[in-house]
Amino acid sequence: MSTSDTRSDSGAASRARRNWGPLALALPALLLLVGVIGYPLFTVVLRSLSQPEWGLQNYIWFFGTPVNLVVLQRTFTISAWVTLVCVVAAYPYAYAMTAVGPKARLLLTLCVLIPFWVSGVVRTLAWVILLQDSGVINSTLRALDLGRLRLIRTQTGVVIGMAQVLLPFMILPLYSVMKGIDLRLVQASRSLGASPLRAFFTVYLPLSLPGVYAGAIIVFILALGFYITPALLGGPRSTMLSTLVQNQVLSLLQWGRGGAMGVVLLLATFILLALAGPLMRQKHKQGARS
Amino acid sequence: MKTHLTLAAAGVALVLGALPAMAQEKPVAGEVKEGSLKGKTLTFVSYGGIYQDGQIAALKEFVDKSGVKLLSDGPTETAKIQAQVESGNVSWDVVDTSDFPPYVYCGKLFQKLDMSKIDTSKIPAGQVGECSVPAMNYGVVLMYNNETYKDNPPKSWADFFDTEKFPGTRAIEGSGDVSGGLLEQAFRLNGGDPKAMKPEDIDGAIQKVRDIGSDTIFWKTGAESQQLAESGEADMIMMWTGRAMAAVKNGAKYTPVWQDWLVVMDQLTIPVGVKDTDAAYALINAYLGKSAQEILTEKTSYTPINNEAQPKVEPAVAAFLTNTPERQKQGYQQNIKFWVDNYEAVNEKWSAVLAGN
Amino acid sequence: MAMHPCTRVMLGLSCLLVALWLVAPTLVVVPMSFNGNKSLAFPPVGFSWQWYENFVSNPEWSTSFFNSLKVALIVAVLATVLGTLAAFGLDRMKARTAGLLRMLLLTPMVVPGVVLAIGIYAVYLDTQLVGTLTGFVLAHTILALPFVLIAVQASLEVFDKRLETAAASLGAGRLATFRTVTLPLIAPGILSGLLFAFATSFDEIIVSLFITNPYLKTLPVQIFSSITRDADPTVAAVGTILLCATTILIGGGLFLMGRERRGNL
Repeated sequence: MSTSDTRSDSGAASRARRNWGPLALALPALLLLVGVIGYPLFTVVLRSLSQPEWGLQNYIWFFGTPVNLVVLQRTFTISAWVTLVCVVAAYPYAYAMTAVGPKARLLLTLCVLIPFWVSGVVRTLAWVILLQDSGVINSTLRALDLGRLRLIRTQTGVVIGMAQVLLPFMILPLYSVMKGIDLRLVQASRSLGASPLRAFFTVYLPLSLPGVYAGAIIVFILALGFYITPALLGGPRSTMLSTLVQNQVLSLLQWGRGGAMGVVLLLATFILLALAGPLMRQKHKQGARS
Repeated sequence: MKTHLTLAAAGVALVLGALPAMAQEKPVAGEVKEGSLKGKTLTFVSYGGIYQDGQIAALKEFVDKSGVKLLSDGPTETAKIQAQVESGNVSWDVVDTSDFPPYVYCGKLFQKLDMSKIDTSKIPAGQVGECSVPAMNYGVVLMYNNETYKDNPPKSWADFFDTEKFPGTRAIEGSGDVSGGLLEQAFRLNGGDPKAMKPEDIDGAIQKVRDIGSDTIFWKTGAESQQLAESGEADMIMMWTGRAMAAVKNGAKYTPVWQDWLVVMDQLTIPVGVKDTDAAYALINAYLGKSAQEILTEKTSYTPINNEAQPKVEPAVAAFLTNTPERQKQGYQQNIKFWVDNYEAVNEKWSAVLAGN
Repeated sequence: MAMHPCTRVMLGLSCLLVALWLVAPTLVVVPMSFNGNKSLAFPPVGFSWQWYENFVSNPEWSTSFFNSLKVALIVAVLATVLGTLAAFGLDRMKARTAGLLRMLLLTPMVVPGVVLAIGIYAVYLDTQLVGTLTGFVLAHTILALPFVLIAVQASLEVFDKRLETAAASLGAGRLATFRTVTLPLIAPGILSGLLFAFATSFDEIIVSLFITNPYLKTLPVQIFSSITRDADPTVAAVGTILLCATTILIGGGLFLMGRERRGNL
């Protein structure tokens, strides 16, 4: 997902005379957006403020109930762990994608793309089969007489599963940035006497940071809203906010409370995006300049 | 010739005249008219797994005979019914619910049943509600892992709550609705009398469940509880008897504790606003039939709710039947009225437990 | 960049681990799908094709599969048309307006699934769209639209507009220019948008879980409810089938792309 705003203004300006044509082209998509995203989200906000009666009661309830705050905090903690795991795993992988020959690159790309395209529910099912106590990992451990690891219904299990699902979103932006890094810069620093480690930390790493930021933001935001993986791999002590929202609405019919939780989640997402936007753009430009 | 005609005419008149009378005749449990629901669709909602499989098998004769197209959905969630009723878009025609909802939401979410449209004469006494008929009787039983507790197994619900004498993980039903029976057992630990339970006692009982601590697993569906037993993952599991039977049949090395097994029943209901009420009645009426109930029990080990049913069960299933004289003596009856009266307050507290902490 | 052999080994090793982590876990559904028992416990016991047979013969599974196919096909076409039109529109707007509208059109990608799902569910309850084809198509289309927009915009960006001018100066009408010059050049972008839209819809689960009803279930909903209600290896069989189909499609696509590129050189 590139965030390029590098459209040429001159071309657009010359066509600015036909002002309504372009808008008409985009109109059907925008109408659908308003009807199927805008209006529903408005309904959520409205219900959070109006059900069962008008006021901020649902928000007061949300922030006044310890359980909710625990889950909110946990949602951020899990997302942070997932992001960290993704960065650590994706960095060498994306680098390798830039460094190998075309055949190996094809293979590496395929490894990233296949899980990306395989049904998310099926992948989560696979993790259930792997992590459960009678699963692949624990059966193997037992066969080797190594005891057992509690993985399913724990935060560790949720992080492992979520990170795998989200890893491609980290690798692809990283790869696209690393691909554009001019390796002669690294060579230059080496020839000027820098150690490989120093060359990496002072030259290569800063140049690759825009990719890290872009990937990390995407992964973190997607992780915040995760629902299926925690629902199937997690237990009560790894409940995330999405599950709580679903529970309020579907099981308790508390549209107001569920809506308030949803709005909190939505706001967290948008604030993060807003904070990250300038950061990413700035780094992007720096990267492009150097 | 003329007389023949007259006779024929009289005969036709007789038949025609009898038709409305026949339609008004009392329905007989298990019977449905050939082709009477051709072209219609009914959705039957229940809790999945062997139970719903058994119910669908029990309804096969009804489907074949009436010509109805039967869809199945689930698991049952009261909120989903409410959402459907409020939006006037009800797609669930007959719903199998847990004990309390039909009493709590009678007339609001569930129709008051017209008992002239179903044959309730064979249902065990005292089980027909204003908005429900029983779907089956069963139990919630404590299952323990043979390997964990070898020579010193738990014997009662008190042992289930005693994590010091009986260390190990506990799996508790967390499918949504609270188990009144379990909370009453917890209340008894504090020396309380469940028959005299008051709303202010609920917190104490729930605290007992919380006290089990980090070794608690809440299972959300029957399938999950079965999985826990088959994988040997939990040391003690609170389980539906049918699921317990299925797990043991699949090789789970667990033993039931029958002392104070919790007596529970599922209910059949018709939500307010279904498209074809009569078809829904026809399904329920067929479900209550003798042979349907026999099939249900043979497949699930759950107790039939037709007094005449004579299921032929295999030994594995027989071990989990709850309608034998011995089991009837050991069973524990929960205080249904109390839980119905305090339904919403309890469920809010219980959901907080399920949400973790 | 010359690498120390040690670094090289480390890099190769970590790559191998990550690749395994990405691909191997999913493969576990393959042995499970041949399980002789009705259980998802590992290791599987015996060998049987019954779960594949069940997928084909059980109407719940086959209907949900065809529902998903139907929804995804309509969504792919609809999202591609709307997304391509929007991409062209944005391409011809002032940069600032285009940037703003683009951001708006991409919001479905970042809005947390459950929040969107309860909103859509609330609206659908009021408008009787729960469990309808229209309901599914509308919701999936808006979720798939961003992918089409991104893909088509990316190909429009590298597209040399002087080619259009050249065609026009040679006397081609606007439509003819579009058909003979623009379309063929951005076709790969549109095609990849179409594929993404199809996959998004075919795989969509969160919103679907809320707006489904017995009359219309899609495959992911069926898989999810099967996992939560039943330990039924049919899910593993479905997973295996999807895995094979995906691998063949992507592998074939990459192979063709690679050949084409080499051919062009």
